[in-house]
Amino acid sequence: MNVTAAERPPEPDAAPDAEEAHAHPARRFWSERRVPAVLVAAATLITGGPLLYDIVAVRADRPATQWRRNLADGLDSRAMDDAWVITGCAAAIAVGVCLVVLAVTPGLRGILPMRRRAAEQVRSGIERSAVGVVLRDRALAVSGVRAVRVTAGRHRVRVLAESHFRDLDVVRADLDAVLADGVRDLGLSRRPALTVHAHRPAKR
Amino acid sequence: MLRATNRVLLLLTGLLLITAGTAGLATALGLVPDAWAWPWHRSDDVVLSHAERVHLREQGWFWPVVIAALSLLLVLALWWLLAQSRRPRLGEVLVDTGDGVAAVVRGRALEEALTAEAEALPGIDRARVTLVGRRTQPRLKVGLILAPQARPDEAVTALRTVAIENARRSTGLPALPAEIRMRSAGHAPERVS
Repeated sequence: MNVTAAERPPEPDAAPDAEEAHAHPARRFWSERRVPAVLVAAATLITGGPLLYDIVAVRADRPATQWRRNLADGLDSRAMDDAWVITGCAAAIAVGVCLVVLAVTPGLRGILPMRRRAAEQVRSGIERSAVGVVLRDRALAVSGVRAVRVTAGRHRVRVLAESHFRDLDVVRADLDAVLADGVRDLGLSRRPALTVHAHRPAKR
Repeated sequence: MLRATNRVLLLLTGLLLITAGTAGLATALGLVPDAWAWPWHRSDDVVLSHAERVHLREQGWFWPVVIAALSLLLVLALWWLLAQSRRPRLGEVLVDTGDGVAAVVRGRALEEALTAEAEALPGIDRARVTLVGRRTQPRLKVGLILAPQARPDEAVTALRTVAIENARRSTGLPALPAEIRMRSAGHAPERVS
């Protein structure tokens, strides 16, 4: 009877408060995608730079470098269905798909957008780790709770509490109420579902 | 701006790689119809034979075109790379004094004032404020570290109604849009016993 789980659907208040009804559907935060941009730009420079240098050097009647002669020989000796060609093409498609996905998805999955009212010109978001810390502090304020672990997902907040005294069911009910308030106080644009598990500490 | 540029260029690069890869695979598997003007028709054709290369090279236009295209590509890549390190920060904000005299507020001063005011608010441990945008239409980027026991929604409301509103009024701006991101310094749990 150590572990008992209480699943709890998101707050069933069908008629949300008026301010929420007028809230903008807050958009996700979009990443600038600096890292992939740096990688692609650097890769272009690293391959294109020496190639351009060598082309110009050969035009100026200097001998071509070894790697370029190897490349020309390779292109001459390999057929289109050579394993290297096929591998290269497959790799190009894979990298290309990754870049397209990076270009069209928002990223920044660690930041949850917060509610925003129509007239405000302030956009705000909170990191999921901060959500975890805020809710942990709330849960620890419930008497009987000794330790709490909060996992804040993008759609669901999972709370694991360890309670060393008071009836588990009472503690769980308290936790449910306190955490539901806590999630509401976060002011997230889409309120995550809440799952609360309370259990006794393992016997030594 | 940088975000849009990065995403468009990444999308183009991705599509280019997918197109080239698909074309190569289709050729290798012999899926290209014979009627198409395509240099490879049997899957055991070599990628680029010495004879073809020499033939290409002897066209007068070949090398100049290659060199020009490659240079252009490299200049673009270099610009793109350098653009990533640039942090657009506003140096000053134009204040409309209403009597025809233009006044200017140093951006750094405004940022510091906002930071100090934000950090004095309840629930906010530390703040970092950056002014971006244009001199006449500045925007704020705010990073907050929440204090223990903070209520994030209230922290945002306080920041908006006190610090940002003060800055907006003192510079006489019609609007001062802001983007706020909140983090939490992982502090030790404080248990109520």
